[in-house]
Formats: sequence, structure tokens, C-alpha cells
Amino acid sequence: MIAKIKAAFPEAVNKAYDGNRLDFTVHKDAIPGFLSHMKEQLGFRHLSHIAYVDWIEENEFEIVYILWSPQDKVKLFIHTRIDRENPVMENIDMIWRQANTYQREMKEMLGIQFPDMVAPDEFILEDWDDIPPFRRDFDTLEYVNRTFWHRPGREDAQDVRETITKRSGEEIPDFAKKYSR
Amino acid sequence: MREKATTIYLGPQHPGITGNMMVRLKVMGDTIVSAQTEVGYLHRAFEKLQERRNWLNSFTLMCRFCVPETDPMENLYARAVESLDNIEIPERAKYIRVMVLELARIATQLMWYAGQNGSLGLYTMGQWSIGDRDYILDLFEQLTGGRVYHMYQWPGGVRRDLPKGFKDKVLNTLDYLEKRLKDYDDLMFANSIFQKRTQGVGYVPKESIIEHGVVGPVLRGAGIRSDIRIDEPYEVYDKLDFEIPTQEGSDIWARALVRRAEVRQSIRIIRQVLDQMPKGEFNTKIPNPMKWRVPAGDTYVRAESGRGEVGYYAVSDGSIHPRRMHLRGAAYVHAITLLENILPGQNIADVSAIMNSLGTCAPEIER
Amino acid sequence: MYNDKNSKKIVETIQNWARSHSVWVLAYGTGCGAIEIAPTMTSRYDAERLGFRGAATPRQADVMLITGYLTVKTVKRVVRVYEQMQSPKYVVGFGSCTINGGMYYDSYNTINLLDKYLPVDVYINGCMPRPEAVIAGLAKLQQIIREGKANGAEKYLENLDWYKANQRKIAPKWIAKAPDYNW
Repeated sequence: MIAKIKAAFPEAVNKAYDGNRLDFTVHKDAIPGFLSHMKEQLGFRHLSHIAYVDWIEENEFEIVYILWSPQDKVKLFIHTRIDRENPVMENIDMIWRQANTYQREMKEMLGIQFPDMVAPDEFILEDWDDIPPFRRDFDTLEYVNRTFWHRPGREDAQDVRETITKRSGEEIPDFAKKYSR
Repeated sequence: MREKATTIYLGPQHPGITGNMMVRLKVMGDTIVSAQTEVGYLHRAFEKLQERRNWLNSFTLMCRFCVPETDPMENLYARAVESLDNIEIPERAKYIRVMVLELARIATQLMWYAGQNGSLGLYTMGQWSIGDRDYILDLFEQLTGGRVYHMYQWPGGVRRDLPKGFKDKVLNTLDYLEKRLKDYDDLMFANSIFQKRTQGVGYVPKESIIEHGVVGPVLRGAGIRSDIRIDEPYEVYDKLDFEIPTQEGSDIWARALVRRAEVRQSIRIIRQVLDQMPKGEFNTKIPNPMKWRVPAGDTYVRAESGRGEVGYYAVSDGSIHPRRMHLRGAAYVHAITLLENILPGQNIADVSAIMNSLGTCAPEIER
Repeated sequence: MYNDKNSKKIVETIQNWARSHSVWVLAYGTGCGAIEIAPTMTSRYDAERLGFRGAATPRQADVMLITGYLTVKTVKRVVRVYEQMQSPKYVVGFGSCTINGGMYYDSYNTINLLDKYLPVDVYINGCMPRPEAVIAGLAKLQQIIREGKANGAEKYLENLDWYKANQRKIAPKWIAKAPDYNW
């Protein structure tokens, strides 16, 4: 199997894994040809997942396509890297129709542009005017402190067990006494 | 007089939709011309939150991904961390996990009975099946302490052993459920109204299956025998003996028959698990969870929930916090592209039945 | 003769007693907690013996159960549905996410305090609350109605500007200026 893939696409880099997993790294321009070859010729008909990771230290986004072949029972991982400053990626809508949904999510959450994709603008977030939220430089706690409120603590903050004992008069059993705040 | 298409919103507040989502329909008369799903009412940004928690805390977020069926998600988290850190779990833990997963599958299909029939107007089935599902939730409460969110399958095994006398209680519940399945058949499947309303409705053509990546009972209702439990066996499924039911027809009726057969197969699996359960440890020691650093790497684990394939892509970079945990819900492709494809041509009254039959669960789509 | 204070009090007491025994719940499952409404309303923990049944539209409903967390997108719809309901109307906050944000306290899309946006009458805590806890909470709502203290709707009208300012802070384009409550 590895030999067949390498014969068709000599630039793809392979990493060795055991079990039923194959791993390849492909340059981003070769992705549509690679994927359609996998689907038509080599029997990887089922697209399981398109995942994305933000490597902010290396200034890149990584996109992983995970394919599954029902006859040979093999998983195939395809990694690509995109530049983080100007993220543009090819559209693979015509190969699998479901990729449209994954791409809409990537566009909204990470800001990756797909120039040929036909889709409505908003997917999950509505009226969002900050940076795309799944980037690692978006601080969600600071956003929450800015926009929403937190519940303040009680002024007469009492210990829960003592209050219950005083109110109902029941005894705390011995095994519970060793778990104290 | 020329007709124009009207837009109606099968909106977030509706007694017939599964979860909090909206379908924007363009109709002419009673027939749908085009449809557009809109999700986002339940987006909690789980994956962003998991990056801020350490490996112990992000486990508590895991089960809340999909609310009707919470156990496959915990199983995925446990197996992902075990495969990143190369932990082996004892046999007894694997058997207990399979039993918990199959009980969760029966509970989900019982809830599906209520939803599907409620969308057609047969509310009696809802009263029966949710009442029977409560017996399974009682079993979960004895085993794990919670009815809906269990937090039981932890990397390294399970959290506590089976209580005394649990096996007899499970067998009693299974006997009771098998007797009730005959009642469900008489009321629901032998009912001519149910048959007339579901045969020929919601047809998924065979070309769409590869194009859209369809999984689960929708795939098996179209005649393709494919299930993660036999394709890529995890836990101890390769030692158990069960069948994968398929049907031809690919409409709501065929999928209902597939789900009905799955309940029977799940009962069969649980009986075998209880017979074959070995004695031994129920978890292996793992390092201190507050300071656990999982080695760097990435992995993709899959499980079969009641609605299809759920997958989990986990990346770790060797620190206390997970790097990226990306879940693929089973309904992610069913609810958006597939639904928009098969709705044109159907009636408005059938939209709810089709949504229930495809197994759309809104929290899974937008996490 | 029938407009003095005592007759009004008697009429109000009878009205409140009747209202407390027939509270219709709006069919809107806004979050996680909707999974425990189904066992509460069906054959095992029957809540219909207390008078709670499902209502399909806001015009026919008395109480709205906010089951769990609310995202910003849902808050806009919930506020609109709440304003479509007719007085007397109540709001029950379900689960710990309505009280202090729960385990999603640091998520950019979920709100933390519910009673800044809507007036809440009863809170039920838990994650999720068991059906017995739900019935206890609903019984407490019935008790409050009978005593005449369930006046969330009046509180909303009196402090309309404050509620609208809070809602506008998270959803500026959606919440337009407040409608004229003059009927």
C-alpha cells in the first residue's frame, strides 16, 4: 500500500506507525489531486474527519484529513501546513459533499479562507466581531470578564456541613469528618 | 397566478425538533422547495475550554458533548489518552466498559422510540419507552452514581468495581425489556398508520452515501453492512458473537427496523459479557492526575454510538494541558448537508420524522 | 360594593389557587437539562398530576423552563419568546449554569447570570437535577404562586430599562429599542 501511494506521489513524506494507520505529509497545493486519487483509485472512500490544529509557535495552521478504506480496513492521515498570516486553502467540495460543513467551521473558527466555496456566511457564531475564536491568541477568560458578569460570593460565607448540622441537628458520620475543606 | 415560495422557520422553539436547532424552509403549498439548517444555539466552545484545563478537568467536560448518549464520549477520551500514553488496561475493565456502552445504546434507542413516534403523533410509545428507559438509568445510578452523566470510564480502566448482586439486577432488567419489546412491536410496527407514514419517506439515495459520508443506522438501512464494532474492533468486541442487522429500502421504515434489531443484539451482547466476565483488577495505576504530562503525539480513536461513528482526534504536546481535542459527532454530516439534500420534495409534516430518523442530535454538531 | 379590599383579596386568592394547579410549560428545550424533562413528564415521575403539561406556543404557556446554559444566540430568541408570553408568566432556572455559569464559566459564548436578562422566580440546582428535584422545584413554584409572590412579570416591566441595557450589552444589533407595553 505504501509503495502504491509513493509511486503515484513521490513528494509525499511518510511516517511509520504500526497497526492499521498510515501517515503522510503533503504540500498544500497537491491536496485535491492526492485526495481524489485516494478516493477513486485506492479505495479510501470514506472521509472520517477533517481536523485542524493551531501551532502558534511555528506560525502555522495544520489541517489533517482522515480517510478510511472499507475494503482494506486502513486509516489514512494526511497532514498539511498553511501559513498563519494569510491562510488560504483549496476547496475539496466536489470530492466529498460533507467537506462543505467542515470548511465552513474552519473559516469561522480559524479564519481560513476558501475562495471557491459556496456557503452562507455565518455558521455557528452570530454577529461576531472579534478575532476568530479558536486561535490560540484569543483569551476567552478576558473576553468573559469584559462582557459578562460573575456571581459574587455570599457575604456570610459559611461552612456547609456546620450549617446543616446546626439547622437539622444531625450528626456528621466519622468517615466524612476526615474530608474537611 | 404565479406562485411564490414562502419562507418559514422550523425554529428553535418547536415541539417537533430534536434539540435546539433551526431549519429554514422555502415552501410552495405544502411541498418543500429548499431547506437550510442553522445551528449554533448550543455552542459552548468545548475544545477551547479543554485547552485551559488539565487532563483531569477536561474529562468532566467530555460527557456533556452529546446529551442523550454520554458513554461513547467517555470511552473515546479514555482510549485516546491510553493510546497516547501506551497504557494497557485489564480484561475485566474492558468487559465492564462494553457492558456500560451497550446499556447506553439500549437507552438511546428507547429514547429514539419516543422521539420518532412523538413526531408522528403516537404519544403512547413515548410514555412506555421513557418509563422503561428509567430502569436502565437506575442500573447506571447503582453502578456510577449518576443518572445521565456518569464519569465512569477513566484512562486506565473504570473507576469502581461492580457492586454486589449487580449481575442479577441487570439480568432481571434485560428479561423485563425483552418482554416489553413484543408490546412495542404490536403497537408500533404492526400499526398501519406508522407503516403508511414511514414507507417511502425520507429516501437516501445510494450515491449520497459515499458523497456525504453517511454512518450508523442510516448506512445500515441502505443495505451496507458496516459497523465499527466489526471493522475496527475495540475493547473486547472481537471475542463476542453478534450480528449486524441491515435492511434494504433506505427510508424511515427500514431504519426503524434496523434500530429495533439493534436493541435485540445489544441485549444478546450484554448476556454474553456477563457470562464471560473474568475476575481481576478493574484499573491500572496512572500517575497523579493533577500533574500528569501525557507524551506528545496525535491519535484518532473511533467508537460506535447509537447514531453512528463518533471519532476523536487528540493532540498532545507533552504539557499539563491538552493541546487539541477535536470531536467528530455522528450527526455532523447528517444534519446539515444530508438533510438539505433529501428534504426538497417532502411535506412539511414529515420534516420532524425525517430529522428523528437520521438521528440528528444538535449538541454534537456544534459542541 | 364588590370593589373593596376584602373582596379583591378573596378573588385574588381564588385566582392564584386556580392558577397554581394548572401551569402549562412551554415546549422549548434550551440546553442540556432538557433530557431530564422527558422522564419528569412521563409515566414514572408523573408531573402531569400536578397540572404541568406541555404547551406548543408561547401564547398558550405559563412557565418557561430555562434548562441549563444559554448561549448568546439563544438569549435573543428566549427574550423574544418571553415577551410574547402573556401575563401571568414565570421563569424557572434549571441547573447550576443559570445560577453562576456552571462549568462553562469561561466560555465566550455562554452567559453566566440568568437574572440579569430575565426575571427568575425559582432556581433548581443540580447538574442535572433529578426528576424528584424538578418536582420539588415546581411544587415550590406552585407555593409561591398561591402566596401571590410570583411577580416576575411585573418586575420585568418596572425595570425594563435595566434589563434591556443588559441585553443590549451582549446583543447590540438584535435588541432594538424596547416595545411599548401599553395594553
